[in-house]
Amino acid sequence: MATKRQRRIVRVTLTYLICLLALFFFISPMLWVTYSSFRSTDAIFSGRVGTPAGQFTLSNYATVLSVTDFPKYFWNSLRIGVLVTVLSMALSIVGAYGLSRYPIRGRNAYIMGVFSTQMFPVVLLLIPIYTVLFSLRLFNTIAGVVLGQLMLVLPFASWMLKGYFDNLPKDIEDSARIDGCNLWQTLARVVLPMAAPGVSVAAFYAFVVSWGDYLVVSVISQSQTTATVTLALQRLGSALILRWGQVAAATVLTIVPTIILFSLVQTRLVEGLTSGAVKG
Amino acid sequence: MRPRIIQENSGLALLLPTLLIMALFSIFPLIEGIRLSFTDANLLNKGARGVGLANFAKLLADPVFWSSLWHSLILTGASVILQLVLGMILALALKQELPGIRFFRSVIMASWVIPVAATAVMFTFMVEPGYGYVNIVLRLLGIKANSFWFGDLHAAFPFMVLLHLWRNVPFYGIAFLAAMQAIPHSLYEAADIDGSGPVQSFFRITVPGCRNMIIVMVTIHVLWTFNNFDMVYLTTGGGPVYATEVLPVYLYQQSWISYTIGYASSIGTVMFVLLMIYFLIYIRIYQKQQG
Repeated sequence: MATKRQRRIVRVTLTYLICLLALFFFISPMLWVTYSSFRSTDAIFSGRVGTPAGQFTLSNYATVLSVTDFPKYFWNSLRIGVLVTVLSMALSIVGAYGLSRYPIRGRNAYIMGVFSTQMFPVVLLLIPIYTVLFSLRLFNTIAGVVLGQLMLVLPFASWMLKGYFDNLPKDIEDSARIDGCNLWQTLARVVLPMAAPGVSVAAFYAFVVSWGDYLVVSVISQSQTTATVTLALQRLGSALILRWGQVAAATVLTIVPTIILFSLVQTRLVEGLTSGAVKG
Repeated sequence: MRPRIIQENSGLALLLPTLLIMALFSIFPLIEGIRLSFTDANLLNKGARGVGLANFAKLLADPVFWSSLWHSLILTGASVILQLVLGMILALALKQELPGIRFFRSVIMASWVIPVAATAVMFTFMVEPGYGYVNIVLRLLGIKANSFWFGDLHAAFPFMVLLHLWRNVPFYGIAFLAAMQAIPHSLYEAADIDGSGPVQSFFRITVPGCRNMIIVMVTIHVLWTFNNFDMVYLTTGGGPVYATEVLPVYLYQQSWISYTIGYASSIGTVMFVLLMIYFLIYIRIYQKQQG
């Protein structure tokens, strides 16, 4: 029988071993790409890990930002991402609140229905969506891309927020209603301040899905005016064959916004993402 | 109090915008997609004729379809099972209150938030022979293997599983951590007094305590992985020689490269039917367990 002390040593060693391996496996690729984005082409192709002091360079970033159309795509992604986030939050806050607080007949069927749309193959849906957007004259427009991405975001965002609203105390709302606040006033002044952590995570989720979407954009966007960073990254990858320094710089620029937002919400991320699940 | 019927109507009114968008961009396209799978619709020709089950007959005789189906099933199964096991191990490490663990918790989910397109480009760069990170690390470890792994007939598919692990395991780890933290500490103390070891405690307390989270994570990841398109498309495009071809990628190629949207839709219909079967089995098991 192992003593308490021996057990503790084993536990601590194993923990740090797992952490080290995990950091190496999950984090080091991102660090490597960031590091490579500051290296000259010669240094990258040398196959060595180190870089001589004089060979660090910002020229990869300079090229991506001035020679290619990357900034344009970055701006498109930003606009689309913000629109998707704002619209999906407006829709899913109101919808999830309705689901959570009102006695709707067949409520569970709605929740099940919303959730089961996660089961639909998006690649299949895009064929008819292409036709719908074409006839609405929204094909190859920012609005079309936003609508397509809303379809990706809404089910999970609604489910997440409904779980979050279910866990909030209801008595404060009730007293607000008795004091004469209407639905919108109650939502804005009482519910949203309480739900802010959950909403921020849902908004983060919406933005990250929109920013990272390749599939919807690749079908709906047909020109520079609507193309996003993910399309640009894929095209740069094939256009700049072997100019890996520049590709690495573009990759870093694509990753950075998501990492910044992630650092803002990370402590709340888990609770928010899984609020529907912990309760069961 | 207002009458129930008015309350119900205002509840529905709140839901309406979401329902409208989902109806127009999810439910209608699903029905229309299934309908198209019984036609010879083609993006290059106007007007489509009904062809009955011809597309499905063609599918049955299409070797690429069968290998894509097989790859999709294996990729989903292998990824989800490995993610579950590794996510559990990761969560056990994350749970320890030791110096530095807070930092570890805060950075570990980064791979999940970055765009898949960035992951794809990053790993394509990393598996380049000679100067790619993967090959450099292998060389430092003294392993003599130097290959463009996505172009390797035998390595490409395992690498695809690895990419899914890279993206999702931290999410599992953090989610299981949340579930573990909700388990009352007194349960472990009681088990300790009863003389049960750490392994027993893990299987008798930790795993049952994470049950709901395990169910949710497995369910959504089966759906997400089976439907996932960009990870494969943006790294190998299904190659080399269809070694990593999966159903979503095959469907995409059939509709947006060959323009045969009728045939492409029949692939999507098969995918949907398979996911339906999975979902129904899941509901059955879930209801049985609820009594």
